[in-house]
Amino acid sequence: MKLLNLILPTLIIIALTSCGDTKKNETVATNNTASEQNVTTDPLIKSVIRGKAIYRELCVTCHLTNGKGVVGAFPPLNPSNWLTEKRAASIHAIKHGLKGPIEVNGKPYDNIMLPLGLDDQEIADVMNYTIQTWNKGAIITLDEVKAVNK
Amino acid sequence: MLLIAATTLFTGCKSNVGSKESTQNGLSYEIGKTAEASIENRLVVNDIPLTEDQKEYTITPIIEGLTNPWGMCWLPNGDLIYTEKEGRMYRYDGKSSYAINNVPAVYARGQGGLLDVTIHPDFKENNIIYISYASPEGAEPGGNTAVAKAVLKNNDLTDFKVLYKASPNTKQGVHFGSRFAWDTDGYLYFTTGDRGNRDENSQDVTRDNGKIYRIHDDGRIPADNPFVNTKGAKTAIYCYGNRNVQGITTHPKTGAIIAHEHGPEGGDEINFIKSGVNYGWPVISYGEEYGGGVFAENTEKEGMAQPFYYWVPSIAPSGFAIIDNAAYGDWNGNYLIGSLKFQYLEMLSVTKSGVTKREKLADQFGRLRNVKMSPDGIIYIGVEGKGIFTITRN
Repeated sequence: MKLLNLILPTLIIIALTSCGDTKKNETVATNNTASEQNVTTDPLIKSVIRGKAIYRELCVTCHLTNGKGVVGAFPPLNPSNWLTEKRAASIHAIKHGLKGPIEVNGKPYDNIMLPLGLDDQEIADVMNYTIQTWNKGAIITLDEVKAVNK
Repeated sequence: MLLIAATTLFTGCKSNVGSKESTQNGLSYEIGKTAEASIENRLVVNDIPLTEDQKEYTITPIIEGLTNPWGMCWLPNGDLIYTEKEGRMYRYDGKSSYAINNVPAVYARGQGGLLDVTIHPDFKENNIIYISYASPEGAEPGGNTAVAKAVLKNNDLTDFKVLYKASPNTKQGVHFGSRFAWDTDGYLYFTTGDRGNRDENSQDVTRDNGKIYRIHDDGRIPADNPFVNTKGAKTAIYCYGNRNVQGITTHPKTGAIIAHEHGPEGGDEINFIKSGVNYGWPVISYGEEYGGGVFAENTEKEGMAQPFYYWVPSIAPSGFAIIDNAAYGDWNGNYLIGSLKFQYLEMLSVTKSGVTKREKLADQFGRLRNVKMSPDGIIYIGVEGKGIFTITRN
């Protein structure tokens, strides 16, 4: 249970001061101590923090800050059965784009998402942000992203 | 059993817009007079209902299977030149598309890539073509908007020359602007966006981004550009205080330069573009932060122009054309604007006093990235994930 040891005792509070498209002053408190050094100890936390910045840069215009999307137009990520059940398909959508009819949480969507030009680590990061913030699941690794081909 | 209690606290940031003005202190330029000129055109209300799609037209596919046809223009022989944002450019001769060679490397993150295209007014004589793109050129990582000219020889770009490169680069994947317009005097206008750094860029004429620029066809700065005598200013700037301008057009009758721009959540605008005017972003806006929260000081302020029209909620406008063809009947003279967000083409009836009617065309057809009038007066639209289509009236 390596993963468990890594994460179990960790209480993360991501306090962020948000100025529109610009991200600043993100701090992470672990075990009740706000310690910048602790930020580096957990790869998942680090990834989630990086992913949040990417989300706020490129995803927010359609999926919105709260991840709820827009009914009938942009599917929700908060929560989303894709992020819990269809990890590879979700990675594929970010990596290569997605178009045409899909079903999310039992509701139909028919739209287009263009490839975003993110590198594989950034894709892992933004996946980790959306999974850990609004859904449940294990860390998305760089290898998991690399394994998803066109 | 991931026991992560990720508590996300959003602290609404009061935008530090007041201090931005201090960066303007010491710069001398007059904005009052020109700002008034556009306030004449101000529309006070924006509560015009959106008329549903009347479907009294035909959409005809021209080129299908495209990913993101961002830019379009026509050669004198009728060939259509179009860009794909990922970094490719094509010439379509009515039957087939031919790849154009020697397109520069682009920074294709988020909204960046190969963007708009336009030909020189005297293309027949000089074969000069212009492109705008997100360029990685420069010391810093990332990219920023560039404008280049080249001679189009058959299907090759030759004599390639960068005329303008906004700086500094940033890895932000948003707000590159990119649209071109020529005025009746032969000046070339191009647009930028604030590159996701609104608080530093849009109000500061010593910085690129969040501006509309005006240059000569060879890249020289016009002597009467508004900030040529302003210390430290980027002298190609024609107006400022813009957020992300993805539509600019020249009125076919009056020659006026008109642009629209994306707001954040709410506050998309149409502005008549005048020399030296401050259009207010991000000090004034009719929009809110993504996810809610007011950041702008106000919706109006002395010395900052009010929009001719604004949208709440945002439609996410891209592409801008004005119908100039009597064959379109009572549509003639109307403004056309693509809506990325709601996936239709918005048609506005416009009088001197403002917008009098809004109507949907091509409703739910797709994310409308571009709209142009061809030289023979036909409406062309570029649709993400689909391609290029014409709209003709039945």
